[in-house]
Amino acid sequence: MKLRTVMSASVAAAALTVAGAASAETMRIGITQNNVGVDSYQTTYEQAFIAAAEANPDVEVVVLDAGGDVARQIAQMEDLIQQDVDAIIIWPTNGEAVIPAVRKASQADIPVIVTNSNIAEQGFDFVASFSGPDNITQGARSAEIMCDRFKELGIEDEAQIVQISGQPGYTTAIERAQGFEERLPEVCPNVTLVETQPGDWNREKSQQVMEAFLVKYDDIDGVYAGDDNMGVGALNAANAAGRTEGITFVGATNFAVGYEAMERGEYWGSIYQSPVDDAEAALQTAIDVLSGEDVPFLNYFDTPKITQDNMTEFTKPVF
Amino acid sequence: MKPGTLSSFLKRGAIWGFIVLELIFFSLAGEFLALSDKAFMDLDNMLLLLKQSAPIGIIAMGMTIVMINGNIDLSVGAIFALAAIILLDSLTWPIFAGLGDWVIPVSWGMALLVGVALGALNGLIVWKTGVDAFIVTLGAMLGYRGLVFMYNGEQPTSHLNWTLVDFAEAQFLGLHTATWFLLAVTAAIWVLMTRTVHGRNAYAIGNNREAAVNAGIRVGPHMMINFMIIGFLAALSAVVFYSESGSVNPNDGQLYELWVITAVVLGGTRLTGGAGSVISTFGGVLAIQLLRKGLGHIGADTSTVNLVIGLILIAVLFLDRQLNVKGKEELKI
Repeated sequence: MKLRTVMSASVAAAALTVAGAASAETMRIGITQNNVGVDSYQTTYEQAFIAAAEANPDVEVVVLDAGGDVARQIAQMEDLIQQDVDAIIIWPTNGEAVIPAVRKASQADIPVIVTNSNIAEQGFDFVASFSGPDNITQGARSAEIMCDRFKELGIEDEAQIVQISGQPGYTTAIERAQGFEERLPEVCPNVTLVETQPGDWNREKSQQVMEAFLVKYDDIDGVYAGDDNMGVGALNAANAAGRTEGITFVGATNFAVGYEAMERGEYWGSIYQSPVDDAEAALQTAIDVLSGEDVPFLNYFDTPKITQDNMTEFTKPVF
Repeated sequence: MKPGTLSSFLKRGAIWGFIVLELIFFSLAGEFLALSDKAFMDLDNMLLLLKQSAPIGIIAMGMTIVMINGNIDLSVGAIFALAAIILLDSLTWPIFAGLGDWVIPVSWGMALLVGVALGALNGLIVWKTGVDAFIVTLGAMLGYRGLVFMYNGEQPTSHLNWTLVDFAEAQFLGLHTATWFLLAVTAAIWVLMTRTVHGRNAYAIGNNREAAVNAGIRVGPHMMINFMIIGFLAALSAVVFYSESGSVNPNDGQLYELWVITAVVLGGTRLTGGAGSVISTFGGVLAIQLLRKGLGHIGADTSTVNLVIGLILIAVLFLDRQLNVKGKEELKI
């Protein structure tokens, strides 16, 4: 504080030390994001977050972006702790590397809200709440979409399906596959899942996986992909083989390419996950935590089903 | 005033003047724009600044020698990532299972050795083939990054060891562990460059390689040693940083080479070699971290930070050029 006094004295303008003009009730919330600009999901997320904060007179936000760099994100966490914000929202660049920084915040009695992708379990003790999509429910809903379609087509007792999962090791991939595999036998007990292969979130890889499936199995009635990017890769393979007709494609995280394929009638359905909902849920979770409300540790926002039947209710995803 | 005195004063002092300017600007702007009630020049904040400068700063010290030499090393970011992977992965190797927490120094040692070995490889190729260091280390940058991805695919390599984290987060005499490493490295490289034959040779080679050869300096081995030093420092930077964070993404350290070179150039080291100072590089490192921190403090976004640093870099190079014009066209103020 001494340094500050010297500074203020030396510069007359600093007489206006009514710093920040923040009233006592205003909640100051800092957010450090993963990598804004790397894809339009994250860009839309940031815009929505800022818009939501501006719409709320009780909230002031510090919006930071780590640019995908773990070192920068840790430095930003330290800066936010130093600035004594009331709560920190973090979109982890790496679910484990940020744990010590999150611990520092919790030691400084600043509640931390993790957004979009959770940190590893070792860090759960230091986190107030996780706000993001529920991947198990997403998987289960995809199973329901698939089953409902089979019932419409009258093939629910004989259908054979394949699964293209996300990158091995990723929580999102594991949970979506788990949700799908658990729910499917409950709703459509006679549908058989003949094989699962990872598509690594990659469209080209998924296309190759699907090509192999098409050679191996003469009868494929449905494909479940861990996200639309992979689902569209599988669709491309089926198109090339001339076998799109009669296959029900269901994905998750509706991408623009998936939405367009649905418009063309080639792709059946997906799960609609909006970055706007994601951002608003994160801010709301932080506000609820600060207001002392009872917030569940895993605070999911809703990700509804989208199919060719109801897609007009949703705007086309920007990513 | 003797002609040239002003120029040389400006050259040496420019970076520190710039830092003072930044401090004044962010302190004033912070009063109006920052959400925080705390001043920018709060002591704790300045201590954090030093700590956050460490990852780039430690490598920048090595880059200063290499650039004074007239070379460059673009592979430091990849060495940084590879050393981090060795560090975190070796903590759980079964052969070390009996060591308990004594595995930590072993893992540190292995990571540092890997850094030295990769640096030696760069240096050896530059020495034996005579290919420009820019090209050699550009290849190494891609190649070493390839190794990083081969090690664990796209997935992060992780091992969180709380003993290690507690050590890395410790504060001794108020300074963080990382700060101590940064200061020690700066001091060591300063001694090396100003008090030893090796340091004087580095300037000689950078100034005029042919003359250095004629003077009997063994240029090849000299350059190889410098590449080993920067390899060691890139690994040391990784060791210090990842002790605290415990998980490395395969693309970590990307663009570090550019930030490091930016810091060194801001500090006044010439790309053509022969001139430069370790202390000024330290100033360059602080200037960059101050900008990042300060712009964050007043609520500017990351793209603004990059834009401002880019503009300042060009301004610095222009000023340097003006100050180095001899004779009639010399800068007059």
